[in-house]
Amino acid sequence: MMVSNRMAGIVFSNMYDECFGELTKIRTAASIPFGGRYRQIDFTLSNMTNAGVSRIGVVTKYNYQSLMDHIGNAQEWDLNNKDGGLVFLPPFGSGKSDVYRGKLEALSNALSFLARCPEDYVVLSDANILCNIDLKKVLADHISSACDITVVAVRAAEADGAIHSLVMDAEGDRVDSILTNYPAVAGQAIGLGMYILSRQFLLGIVRRYVAAGRTHLEADFLQRGFNNGSLSVNLWEHKGEVLFNLDIPSYFRNNFRLTERELRADLFNPDRPIYTKVRDEVPTLYGRGSSVKECTVADGCVLEGAAENSVLFRSVQVAQGAKVSHSIIMQNCRIDPGAVVENCILDKDVHVTAGTHLLGSRNNPMIVRKGETV
Amino acid sequence: MNIHKECIAMLLAGGQGSRLLVLTEKTAKPAVPFGGKYRIIDFPISNCVHSGIDTVGILTQYQPLELNDYIGNGQPWGLNRNRGGVHVLPPYAQIDKSEWYSGTANAIYQNIPFIERYNPEHVLILSGDHIYKMDYSLMLDAHKQNNAECTIAVRNVPIDEASRFGIMTADPDGRITKFEEKPKKPESTLASMGVYIFKWDALRRYLCEDEANPESQNDFGKNIIPTMLADQRPLYAYHFDSYWKDVGTIESLWEANMDLLNLTDAIDLRDPDFRIYSRNEANPSSYISAESTIINSNISEGCDIYGHVENSIISTGCTVEAGAVIDNSVLMPGARVCAGARVSYAIIGEGAVVAADSSVGEAPEICGDGWGIAVLGREKNTQVGEKLPAAFVR
Repeated sequence: MMVSNRMAGIVFSNMYDECFGELTKIRTAASIPFGGRYRQIDFTLSNMTNAGVSRIGVVTKYNYQSLMDHIGNAQEWDLNNKDGGLVFLPPFGSGKSDVYRGKLEALSNALSFLARCPEDYVVLSDANILCNIDLKKVLADHISSACDITVVAVRAAEADGAIHSLVMDAEGDRVDSILTNYPAVAGQAIGLGMYILSRQFLLGIVRRYVAAGRTHLEADFLQRGFNNGSLSVNLWEHKGEVLFNLDIPSYFRNNFRLTERELRADLFNPDRPIYTKVRDEVPTLYGRGSSVKECTVADGCVLEGAAENSVLFRSVQVAQGAKVSHSIIMQNCRIDPGAVVENCILDKDVHVTAGTHLLGSRNNPMIVRKGETV
Repeated sequence: MNIHKECIAMLLAGGQGSRLLVLTEKTAKPAVPFGGKYRIIDFPISNCVHSGIDTVGILTQYQPLELNDYIGNGQPWGLNRNRGGVHVLPPYAQIDKSEWYSGTANAIYQNIPFIERYNPEHVLILSGDHIYKMDYSLMLDAHKQNNAECTIAVRNVPIDEASRFGIMTADPDGRITKFEEKPKKPESTLASMGVYIFKWDALRRYLCEDEANPESQNDFGKNIIPTMLADQRPLYAYHFDSYWKDVGTIESLWEANMDLLNLTDAIDLRDPDFRIYSRNEANPSSYISAESTIINSNISEGCDIYGHVENSIISTGCTVEAGAVIDNSVLMPGARVCAGARVSYAIIGEGAVVAADSSVGEAPEICGDGWGIAVLGREKNTQVGEKLPAAFVR
């Protein structure tokens, strides 16, 4: 088997659960629905498999039923292969249910997986920062850089105040300084939570650092190693679009950005499709009295009422006289006649009864929990 | 391995579909897109799955490549089975001969070894050019109850259409007394839907006899059924009165698409217990822009809609640019209608491009005599500003 210059993949599914409040009560951050028909992890998995990664470990700790249900046998990502495939890496019965203290600690669950992989390299990725990237190019750049680790980053166009786990001052692909949990200013490079490094190197790091009580990949390993000169860091600047879903407000905003033509073209580049679980849905029906404007719409909806500036997931029903604006309506929600939904996130299977008004605000959307009737 | 299946299905998908004109230039009729995200063959295959039939042979001959790709391992229909599942069966060379399928009966005859692998009691024969949802297990029940050697699914058709079908007469018990394939002067309006269930041992016997007869055209309607009837074998009619549409012509294909908008109760694709399965492409959600207007239309995923869409079926991955107007039309997957273009009473083929300010088709009230559905074939395009009138086919 030819595995040199190939990568195995590791995805962290729970790492940012605490940032998403209600949305992660019943699921991992990786399986939060996004953009009408996706889960956040679809972008990560598709990036990996589009680059020929055929062996992926998904590090999970809790709440991962919905993630397992979504991924199934992973055939949608072509990961039901004999050479690898997708495996879940839950903890070995630790009984503790708190979040990992860091990615290095999370990776200690993946040690045996990593030890068994025949691939020379590993790509590590979060699942909440969405982009469409050619990881083959990143790997080639990593190899030719001869650095210990390659960090995928994007240049900040402006300071938006968001706190990023990794920010770098960098000249071209040369990193000058590393900052963690820091709000980037224009021109700084923001890490996408995506790293490529050699598998053997990673194995050694995880064993040693966790034993030493250092658990944070960015602060304890990257920053510290870079600062004391023991770690050479290569920067790969991603030129395409990136959606940082760091918390509920940014997740809310980013869903609506799918109406931007250039962003859509880049994120859904047909040469590198984003795969997701198939549901045998019918095409969406736009009724005679419907009015749908500036919306992202999945299959299976029946739209008789009005919707604007919203994301409608699969099988959403908007009845005549109902009005949805600036909201995310997840799968199977039903909005009855005369209901008004504005600045809301309706989780799956929510039923908004006739005449009900649900009003959130732009920066603080109202979230209705899965399955509720209001 | 000792397999025994009660009933397996053989789907005749080899037809050229020449009446679908440019739409079947590069693809077999059963692979023609339908209803926004389906292909015609999804209907009989999904029917099989919902009828508990897990073994389906698909007989292909004309332009089989796309159909082969589409069917693949049968996974979208849940037919990737260890025992049974879906099999594409093209004609193949044998040691002493190699021949194309010379007729519907010959196609089955040549695949007797395939059928015998499953040791079935009954064989369901289907064709790949009809849109309908049918539970074949109910027909099989009737077939067994009558102890029939052949059961033919039938429906009443208008008398002026009857000469397009196999027409039969049945006694009050449903036993068929007369059968005529495409009669010039039909004596009844009871038409065959091209759905047959045979007892396998009887069918095998008649297939072998038919094959030995050099005069025969090796056709079910013209040869096998008339011969069985002449031999006074028990042949029964099974009435099916729900929605069923032959989509063998441009007009009927267009009508069946429009039925999805106007007869939503008759052909309910949303019924969660009887979904039509299809192979899904990786398309993002559709984008519906602020300036678009959409009235009574189906729009599938992966579309970008900026224009006006009315009474139309827009398939996966289509683009309707700003100022484009589409009414009473079908856009097949990946079609693009450019700025200011007009599409009216037309079918736009897969990946076809209606150039800016051009038009395809006209409403019947504008055109008058000689009206028909206009067709722009797969990967074809119009020139900027060009007008293709009603019934025009490119």
